[in-house]
Amino acid sequence: MELYKLQASELSQMLQNKECSSVELTKSVLGRIDAKEDQIKAYLSVDKEGALQKAQEVDDRRLKGEDLHPLAGIPIGVKDNICLKGMPATCASRMLENFVPPYNATVIEKLNQTDCVYLGKLNMDEFAMGSSTENSAFQKTRNPYNTDYVPGGSSGGSAAAVAAGEAVVTLGSDTGGSIRQPAAYCGVVGLKPTYGSVSRYGLVAFASSLDQIGPMGRSVKDLALTYSAICGKDPMDTTTVSREYPDFTKNLKSDVKSLKIGLPKEYFAEGVTADVKEAVMKVAKEYEKLGATLVEVSLPSTDYALSAYYIIASAEASSNLARFDGVKYGYRSPNYANLEELYENTRSEGFGDEVKRRIMLGTYVLSSGYYDAYYKKAKFTQQLIQQQYADAFTQCDLLLTPTTPDTAFKIGENVSDPIKMYMNDLLTVMINIAGLPAISMPCGFDQKKMPIGCQLIGSKFSEQTLFDTANCYEQLVGGFDLSATLQ
Amino acid sequence: MKIDMKRLAKLSKLKFSPEEEAKFQKEMENIVAMVEKLPDIDASGPLIDPDNPMKMRKDVPEKKFTRDELLKNAPEVQAGCIVVPKVVD
Repeated sequence: MELYKLQASELSQMLQNKECSSVELTKSVLGRIDAKEDQIKAYLSVDKEGALQKAQEVDDRRLKGEDLHPLAGIPIGVKDNICLKGMPATCASRMLENFVPPYNATVIEKLNQTDCVYLGKLNMDEFAMGSSTENSAFQKTRNPYNTDYVPGGSSGGSAAAVAAGEAVVTLGSDTGGSIRQPAAYCGVVGLKPTYGSVSRYGLVAFASSLDQIGPMGRSVKDLALTYSAICGKDPMDTTTVSREYPDFTKNLKSDVKSLKIGLPKEYFAEGVTADVKEAVMKVAKEYEKLGATLVEVSLPSTDYALSAYYIIASAEASSNLARFDGVKYGYRSPNYANLEELYENTRSEGFGDEVKRRIMLGTYVLSSGYYDAYYKKAKFTQQLIQQQYADAFTQCDLLLTPTTPDTAFKIGENVSDPIKMYMNDLLTVMINIAGLPAISMPCGFDQKKMPIGCQLIGSKFSEQTLFDTANCYEQLVGGFDLSATLQ
Repeated sequence: MKIDMKRLAKLSKLKFSPEEEAKFQKEMENIVAMVEKLPDIDASGPLIDPDNPMKMRKDVPEKKFTRDELLKNAPEVQAGCIVVPKVVD
């Protein structure tokens, strides 16, 4: 058995039992990267030397009998908008092509305590804006199931790497679906945590009231393991919530008896393909057989979610991205006669088209005379949506929905139509707007033989219930089958 | 909704060629039309989240970086300072 094919929880046991070493494991994954990157193009940078050095250090410490964390020696990939000291953090943008952060994100500081091994930085849509990873300024990542198709986005590199065996687990970020949608498109598992449960210090900001960092992997247990390591209060991010965060792997159950699962009818409406609906309903029926109760619920504001999302996200993005002015760091245009030209030329040459569209949309909705009609109204719609979710959770413990209306599309298919691209986020943006946690897990294939994902949505800080419920399905199907992409 | 692209570009600190401007004009008008779909609600109250009050950390300086570390990413540096075009005449 090739080591790169295994899950973190399995590898962790093998490392502890000295059935393999971290150097062997890291070499196996690096070898896989060498073999697959020409086709997949998931990584923007790979740190072979650093990875092997860390692996050796972990092996030495294990030999000395040190008690190590379950993630010790496990090779992990990181999305390129998360700062890892000394490694480039380009956000897949020309603007940050040469930016090397002098500090670690809090999630990296936390992962450092586990002694995991960093493989490198993963491709994404520029500044996490997009749903296909085609907006990367450097390369197009391909879907390991079929390289003519997109891996989804914006964490497309993180999803593709996990599916292709080029990493054991990865970190992504999710502002409107950027972990869950690519997880669904690549047949892997992804968690968008509760807003406020994972620090964003050191994550290049897109929309600060929506952004969350989360793990992606090939099993629910691996997500629980990684999430347990990165969550928690951080003085460097005031939005993080102070509370007890347990070890989510300790009490991982696979039982859904007496669980009430809500099926929001708006999520199965027009626009969701028959294959996707059927696959998700099959999951619902399996849960029912195992003792769960299915209830139909309604979230009538679903229709407004996409509008509210694009207004709020773009408004915050236009403000967050104002810092890229060519002065203190990042790209600076060589063509300017005065300060105004320095700003305009730097931004016009450094940003790609999608980033420019979002900056302009955000600037437009915040501009004088439009603020009340767009931004403020969107924020009130957000409250309405939050209330409707709270109401839904009085009738059920969690919700089951499709992650995306359809499976992955072909590279180039939607690039000329921004609105068609935005429709990919229809079923995921609500969760960010409401600040809730959600897991996307694989649940079959459509007629194109591309993976389908379903989404489990919980109330705030209900990650344990989501892990348990997803784990139950994973156990039932005997593990998520990634044999096609791991070959 | 007709969008004044020149004004929007200026506010966004972006610059476009005439061809780009025409392309973005059309796209932005379509996008704004899409996001206009919002419910007819009274949006006059305050926007706060009383359940999750945020607590600021104390404003205490910490020595985390050296000047050289921070200037490493600057586009142009002279004598430990960032160089910018002349701002005041």
